[in-house]
Amino acid sequence: MKNSIKIFKKEIKEVIKNRSIWLPILAISIMFSVIFPAGLTMSTDSFLKDPDTTNFIAKVLQNTGNVEAAFLQFIIKQFMIFLLLIPAMLPSLIAPASIVLEKESSTLEPLIATPIKTGELLMGKTLTSMVPSFAISFINFVLITVIVDTLAYIRFGLVPLPTLEWFIVTFILSPILSFIITMASIIISSKSTDIRSAQGIGAVVIFPIYAVIGMQLAGLFLLNIKYLLAGCLVLLVVCPLVLKLAIRVFDRENILTKWKMK
Amino acid sequence: MIRVENLTKKFAGITAVDDISFKVDEGCIFGFLGPNGAGKTTTIRMLATLIKPTEGSIFVNGRTPSKDGEYIRSIIGILTETPGMYEKISACANLDYFSSFYGIEEIRRKQNIEKFLKLFGLWDRRNDLVSTYSKGMKQKLALARALIHEPKILFLDEPTAALDPESAFMVRSFIEQLKNDKTTVFLCTHNLEEASSLSDVVCIIKNRIIKIATLEELQKNKKGSNTEVIMAQDASLFEQVVKDTGLASNIAVENNRLAFSIESPEKSNPLIIKKLVNSGAEIIYINELKASLEEIYLDLIKS
Repeated sequence: MKNSIKIFKKEIKEVIKNRSIWLPILAISIMFSVIFPAGLTMSTDSFLKDPDTTNFIAKVLQNTGNVEAAFLQFIIKQFMIFLLLIPAMLPSLIAPASIVLEKESSTLEPLIATPIKTGELLMGKTLTSMVPSFAISFINFVLITVIVDTLAYIRFGLVPLPTLEWFIVTFILSPILSFIITMASIIISSKSTDIRSAQGIGAVVIFPIYAVIGMQLAGLFLLNIKYLLAGCLVLLVVCPLVLKLAIRVFDRENILTKWKMK
Repeated sequence: MIRVENLTKKFAGITAVDDISFKVDEGCIFGFLGPNGAGKTTTIRMLATLIKPTEGSIFVNGRTPSKDGEYIRSIIGILTETPGMYEKISACANLDYFSSFYGIEEIRRKQNIEKFLKLFGLWDRRNDLVSTYSKGMKQKLALARALIHEPKILFLDEPTAALDPESAFMVRSFIEQLKNDKTTVFLCTHNLEEASSLSDVVCIIKNRIIKIATLEELQKNKKGSNTEVIMAQDASLFEQVVKDTGLASNIAVENNRLAFSIESPEKSNPLIIKKLVNSGAEIIYINELKASLEEIYLDLIKS
């Protein structure tokens, strides 16, 4: 574990220096954690002036009481799914950069020639990808909660966040998702020699997240605890499979003989 | 220190290393020579526990890579074909990062970083990004990295490639000094002069081992030899005399020096010298010209 921390410490400094990684994340975070939640919470009144919206809330959310509270819950469910973009996007940007840069500078051979275990190396790379992902997801979670609660309290005297679903997304689903995307990105990166192509293929890995967002926006379903727990369960089954594959890819001999090097 | 028995490595049906066996004693400089694709790097990688042999056994300091890979990697230092340094951090940070995996105390790590950066003339540039270094400087930094934990065995793949003559001389002198510390050096090089001046034992490989011996043994066993005759007169006057004996080849003349190759010095030299004297040559010296490692290497590789 000590060696994994050493790798993490060195690599996280490089991630922080790399604008192409954190700029898109910063843009998405500001958009989905500040601008949209603030804008939508502030505009709740004007949305509810439309009779179609109130009818929709009454039908879909079976709401008969507090319309504002129901509308806010609906909006929160929509944000929730966007919150999954961060743990999916960040690993698909960091993991390929971390591995392809090692290939470009030919540092993998001298690194694996030290007494480090390949498991420690894989763990170090995983931490580099997962820690910022979890940290930013958590910061977004706090930001949305503070912004929505403050505005909703001022306007309607309501404190809609956090909800149980919100906790499940932040503390269970996001880390699992982040782990799977990290492993997938590592596997893909072993076959790439340039960062852009690795990140490009990595972006395809997060396609299912876009699909879920699209389906929810299209009204095909609305995320609830049942769906979220089912999603967590399915992804938990996938975790050991991708881990096993990543460990196989991260074998010393594979790195030197099968990885596509520059 | 290193013992290899019937070592074979195959990649997808292609045999890179074919049934090789050898032994390297402690404190020995083992010159490992061979053409490109001869299996040198593959052998080093197997010895360094980076890849597994298809067949055969390896013992490094009495331990086997399959059981004690981490221990073996902790007592070896390796200079790979390409320097492989992190370009966006400083030389000091690179050495500190790599040496941190050997469990050396921080104080000793810092002392060693200073010692080796000073030794290779990089101390003044220690805080500069490696990306600003020249090819030769990166090579010296990679050598410092291989030595930073004071390994018992050092694998050097082309240590003086990309170095200027002065730095190459310094590195060669340093490798020679390592012998005094009982460090075993496994030297892979295409620079045969370097191999000849440094190696205690030379191993020539072309997937299989072609020859292992000391340089003296190789010279002794080389078929044929060269003779040099220094005379008082212009040597060109006697070139035809040597030719006419039919015993010599590769005859070379330069002022009062006559050099030629012969198959059997014991039989041919007395006859040729007798002919020269009878033809009026006043001989000052007769020397045996020892075959260079390059000649021996090319002979063995061709055959």
